[in-house]
Amino acid sequence: MVRFTIVIFGLIMLINHTAAISKEKTKEKKFFPYTTYTETLQNGLKVILIPMPSDGLVSYYSIVRTGSRDEYEPGHTGFAHFFEHMMFRGTKKYPGNVYDKLVISMGADANAYTTDDYTCYHLSITKDNLEKVMELESDRFQNLFYEESAFKTESGAVYGEYRKGKTSPFFWIWEKLLSSAFTKHTYKHTTIGFEEDIKAMPTMYDYSISFFNRYYRPENVILLIVGDITPKEIMPMIKSYYGGWKKGYIPPKVEQEPKQVSEIVSEVIYPGKSLPILSVAYKGSPYDPSDKDVLSAFLLGDLAFGENSALYKKLYINEQKVQYLEPQFERNRDPFLWIVWAMVNDEKDLDYVKSQILSTAEFYKNNLVSKTELENLKKRLKYMYLMNLDTPAKVAGIMANEIAISTTVESVDKSFATIEKITPEDIQNAAKKYFTTEQRTIVTLKGKM
Amino acid sequence: MKTKLFIFIYLFIFLSQLIMANKVEKVLFPVKDDPTVSFRVWFKVGSQNDPEGKEGLAYITAKMITEASTRNNSYEKILEKLYPIASSYSEKVDKEMTVIYGRTHKDNLDEFYKLFVEAILSPAFNEDDFKRIKTNAINYIQNDLRYSNDEELGKAALYGFVFEGTPYSHLTNGTIESLNNMTLDDVRGFYERYYNRFNFVIGLGGGYDEKLVDRLEKDLSALGDLRSQSPAKPNVQPIQGYNFLMIEKDADATAISFGFPVNILRNDEDFVALWVFNSWFGEHRNQSSHLYQVIREKRGLNYGDYSYIETFLNGGQRNMPEPNNPRRQQIFEVWIRPVQNQHRHFALRAALRELKKVVDNGMTNEDFELTKKFLYSYCLNYAQTTMDKLGYQIDSKFYGVNDQGNYIHYFRNKLNLLKLEDVNRAIKKYIQYDNIKFAIVTKNAEEFKEELVNNVPSPITYTSEVDESVLKEDSEIQVFPLNIDREKIKIVKVDEMFQK
Repeated sequence: MVRFTIVIFGLIMLINHTAAISKEKTKEKKFFPYTTYTETLQNGLKVILIPMPSDGLVSYYSIVRTGSRDEYEPGHTGFAHFFEHMMFRGTKKYPGNVYDKLVISMGADANAYTTDDYTCYHLSITKDNLEKVMELESDRFQNLFYEESAFKTESGAVYGEYRKGKTSPFFWIWEKLLSSAFTKHTYKHTTIGFEEDIKAMPTMYDYSISFFNRYYRPENVILLIVGDITPKEIMPMIKSYYGGWKKGYIPPKVEQEPKQVSEIVSEVIYPGKSLPILSVAYKGSPYDPSDKDVLSAFLLGDLAFGENSALYKKLYINEQKVQYLEPQFERNRDPFLWIVWAMVNDEKDLDYVKSQILSTAEFYKNNLVSKTELENLKKRLKYMYLMNLDTPAKVAGIMANEIAISTTVESVDKSFATIEKITPEDIQNAAKKYFTTEQRTIVTLKGKM
Repeated sequence: MKTKLFIFIYLFIFLSQLIMANKVEKVLFPVKDDPTVSFRVWFKVGSQNDPEGKEGLAYITAKMITEASTRNNSYEKILEKLYPIASSYSEKVDKEMTVIYGRTHKDNLDEFYKLFVEAILSPAFNEDDFKRIKTNAINYIQNDLRYSNDEELGKAALYGFVFEGTPYSHLTNGTIESLNNMTLDDVRGFYERYYNRFNFVIGLGGGYDEKLVDRLEKDLSALGDLRSQSPAKPNVQPIQGYNFLMIEKDADATAISFGFPVNILRNDEDFVALWVFNSWFGEHRNQSSHLYQVIREKRGLNYGDYSYIETFLNGGQRNMPEPNNPRRQQIFEVWIRPVQNQHRHFALRAALRELKKVVDNGMTNEDFELTKKFLYSYCLNYAQTTMDKLGYQIDSKFYGVNDQGNYIHYFRNKLNLLKLEDVNRAIKKYIQYDNIKFAIVTKNAEEFKEELVNNVPSPITYTSEVDESVLKEDSEIQVFPLNIDREKIKIVKVDEMFQK
């Protein structure tokens, strides 16, 4: 949960060279070794193809731009994630067990995950199975069918997943942080949802049908295929399998969060044993690849609190006050939180560590980062990107996040161009804009024992 | 005369270097177009070499190499230098193997190489780093493992229980007491003893050139001269009947792991046959797993149910197996992810009943053909990156698998030749259901003990309509007899785990 941060962000940021103009092959660029193709079908389904050498492996991603953010109706937290499970229950043509058998016989590594902003279904397959997978995937996205009994049984597995997660102290602090920082916006609940809503899930069969009909529509889905593929061969196949999918997306009524006007401080007790965990969070801005402030904030997170920051060296290496210090500055569709995490070795140092984080934030408001530091970070991002695009699964995994939030591959280009222009002054401006007391939420977790 | 002497000395040095060079074993996985270079230097040492009372020493020593200062650079400085090149090096310590590994882009090869080699050759072993690394290790046991990850706790407990009394039994990270007692001198001594020039294998993968192999070989030959020996294969005691280790913990859910030693390794003739059985019975995090189908898919009792014939580390995080934890003794292991406490007895019975069924009846031809087809493609996912592929080749060297430099291809070829009889014969030979050890993390362990010992029926109810066939099967599962002796159930408090 706290392991994303600038690392993944950096990788995606720099994939600008993949960007493509619709239907046209891009020119070879300096960094990115693969060409990219984008086409939007008449029903609104966007298709993005990235051919790359891969020993015959292909990654097949269906990205639904619906996540826990879209759970605006009371009593339905966790539903997007629950629904992700139901997508494996099959159709009339290919019931769940038949779907499973076919996927198994293909030797596919098939799975799915849900985030606050989107849900992603992915398979790693061999290229000779591509058409069959396309048939299966297009079928379940259009014709999902399950009995109420299967629906109820699956809710048990979801509750199991909740129980599994609940043993971690991060689960507790994450839940507390979100519910403290947001009052109106659906970001106030976690992706897994509240326990009482999960318990009530078995009674929501009819709601699940409506959920599918409203959100699982072509205008709300992006198909991303990476690996050993030839776009001109597979585009006609995509059109034939997905072309008949009917439009009908109904956007959720997500309430925007009112501007936070004063600092929120809260605490949670973890019912087990844990070292204290501290989260210092600031309200951020929605992801926009052209927004210099947003991209500067991402860089700022790493410069101030990342593993090469002065504070990290102080608290982790020299003073040994923390088990770790880590920034989590992620991209989201709506303003989310940009968070600094620390696990503190001794409870009596909690205030000290907190004050160090706050004074570091202040420092960047009042001082310019050195040009060398900034350039080192830019260089780092470049190499992260270059080193991490070595398998279709990694390329697709990294790109899925970018595409899910921005809907385009072009946004990568824009964001990279923005990053290139960022100066130490921009970093300082971002600190001034975001690191304010009134936009801050601080939550601490202490173990019971 | 002088010229002759010079030539003689020169020849002597040249030849001795050649002889020395020939002694260094190598595992190479070149990938011409790969813009990166992967390093894996395998030291033939692991937690089995930890001295008594100093458990965790192999782990801490490796950490003192990869996450600490060297004689030339402070740890801070190292991080600073690695930062712009987005590269890092790390360690993997298992029972028998320690691998120091790292990867970098070719553009930055020289910079990275210097730091990587320096870490291995000249660790500073200073007090501050030692303190930090030790504190982290203790915190991992005291807080993370005991309190925030019941699944890993159950698995670690099972390994300790099955390998009781052998050098495999303790946690790689050590125990609270051993870590507290460990000194920097222990680390220095361990390093001197095991990080010697006769005790490593060079692993290189990706877009490196031959010169790099020579350079690394030459540089690492500067390691010490002290020769080391590995302990004998662990002499694991046969299990008699069903033995339970219950870890009492205030938890809503019960984590169950069970298993027994299995005498088969990657280089055995039957290995791929048994792998097919295991893949069908419990492929890790895949819906193809039969146990998953029975416990999760049909009944919704938990999040997943899997089995293993080789150690699978970090199963909660990883979908595919990590390379470089080869062992001379493996166990057959079943992992039932947390079930509600009220379902623990039922889930346990269900899993054992399935195990009995497959041992008694073997796999059906339909399941065999499907699994064979599945694995033929799925195994490509086991090792996708150059780093992972290199790791697999190192494991092949460990096990002595003659795979012509590509284990996955070798595995697929073996798979093609398999027949159902091979698999069913392997099941009969290696898998059984009479003698098993169980590690269970649960609440009210005493109560569970009584239920187990008395074979109390464990019916379950569903909130939804369930298929008639499931209910019929349930009526058999809920009374499925388990013969358990009272004295073979040991209950410990979670705080006692990994204490000493």
